[in-house]
Amino acid sequence: MPREAEPSLNEKQFILQALQENLRLDGRQLDQYRPLELTFGDEYGVAQVSLGKTKVFAKASAEVTVPYTDRPLDGVFTIMTELSPMASPAFEVNRPNETEVLLSRLLEKTVRRSGALDTESLCLVAGQKCWSVRVDVHVLSHDGNVIDASCLAVVAALRHFRKSDTSMEGGVLTVYTPAEREPVPLGWLHSPFCVTWSFFGDEGETAVLDATRAEEQIRVGSCTISLNRHGEICQIAKLGGTPVEAVALLQCTSLALTKVKEFSTVLDRKLAEDSKRRDKSGRAAELTAENDR
Amino acid sequence: MPLDTSAYSLALLRVDGRRWNELRRIHAQIRTQAAADGSSYFEMGHTKVMCVVNGPSEPGPRRGGTAAAAPGGGQSKDAEVAVSIVVAGFSSVDRKRVGRGDKRILELQSTISSALTASLHTHLYPHSTINISLHVLSQDGSLLAALINAATLACVDAGIPMTDYVAACTAGSTSTYAANDESADPLLDLNHQEEQELPGLTVATLGDSDRVAVLVCESRVQVGRLEGMLAVGVDGCKQVREILDRVVREKGRRMLQEGTVEKGVGLDEMDMD
Repeated sequence: MPREAEPSLNEKQFILQALQENLRLDGRQLDQYRPLELTFGDEYGVAQVSLGKTKVFAKASAEVTVPYTDRPLDGVFTIMTELSPMASPAFEVNRPNETEVLLSRLLEKTVRRSGALDTESLCLVAGQKCWSVRVDVHVLSHDGNVIDASCLAVVAALRHFRKSDTSMEGGVLTVYTPAEREPVPLGWLHSPFCVTWSFFGDEGETAVLDATRAEEQIRVGSCTISLNRHGEICQIAKLGGTPVEAVALLQCTSLALTKVKEFSTVLDRKLAEDSKRRDKSGRAAELTAENDR
Repeated sequence: MPLDTSAYSLALLRVDGRRWNELRRIHAQIRTQAAADGSSYFEMGHTKVMCVVNGPSEPGPRRGGTAAAAPGGGQSKDAEVAVSIVVAGFSSVDRKRVGRGDKRILELQSTISSALTASLHTHLYPHSTINISLHVLSQDGSLLAALINAATLACVDAGIPMTDYVAACTAGSTSTYAANDESADPLLDLNHQEEQELPGLTVATLGDSDRVAVLVCESRVQVGRLEGMLAVGVDGCKQVREILDRVVREKGRRMLQEGTVEKGVGLDEMDMD
């Protein structure tokens, strides 16, 4: 199995020494993200996020299937992650390594288990038909902090996504094409975002946000905190690594909340810009099947 | 099954009759398997796990999957900690088959491996592997905490040098996330029913310190409640550490009495208070 080349001793020492002096190789503050770019595709449900050189692509899609027998009133919602050799030589196709397992578990806990998507609204006929929403995450380029970028991409793709409108008449389900009826957005409850802290130093005393790959390779531990802008923790994962003071973790959480609020504003703004771009005729409000509840 | 939380506010007693700051009964044993280098058995209420440690030894042939968890392995200058977890089919109420590639189990394995790597002096055993295999016999909440405690005890039994015990326990909060309830009490050591209904987290700390090695929260909870839960959890870990320490010392004393330890070898230096 190919392994990633570790940074040399000199590189390690240089980065660590710099971090002790509160300096980073790319001149950022310790709690500063790389420039975040978020773009939507022409199709609904396509989002691409880049944080510096890290690029993540997410595509949401939906099809009608049979619901699980133990959950007849819920739709199906899956997040598929794929780390291909394109991102790093250490990733192999069809052989999930630790990074991939942890990434998919984190996304699952952050987006699915926290109930961001209202799966009950995906049900069409109880026990017989439901929507199956699927998000595919592709890491196009891996330069550290794939988790935060992927989470943002998944949430952006899902919020951008429109599924075909349907109607039930006399027990017959009709799925309308976009030409017949304007597609409808998913039932969305809250937008969680991941913020990953990396710890450096013997006692993990230096906490750094948005680590690059070189920094990730030499960090002694990490902690991913998922929050939404209402200040609800969706998930915290500090999976081992060097022990860190409990008080420091609390500080990390409150700082993460401010970052999450920034993400939330950015995403809202981008979504608004995109819908304005699509709505050239200014008739979207008339076409939509949505109404304020 | 909804948990009847109304009873809590009346009598301040939880479903199993505990107060908010009480641990369940913890029973632990070490050196349960004669053939292994280190072994332990750990009960936290009805959660029961066994742990067997083999190594540090030369790494065997790669079986793929979990063994590849920690980087390096055979070539590395630190020992690799390979953890495998087997969940018995009879361990919970509904008999569910857990596949090999179950991501939840893989996540638990990598968490335990990484938490212990930080405490064990792996640099003393280059080019070698420490195999920790954990068996879940019965599940009633706080699974990760029980697994970490069992693995720590087994590593102590195997005589692998480590900085301190990694002790773990869970903490929760009364009333669900939706209620922005300021007066919500934190709870210590959740059982299965509470884990399903209430927000909770698993904490593992290193020894007597407040330093957190593992912090896993999988439920939605208000940020403001984290501090209380964490404080109770860290305090619980200290209690657990005392219990683990007592078990190890008791076993040591018994082994001396029964003559299992060779007489005169470093006995004078051994401090058996």
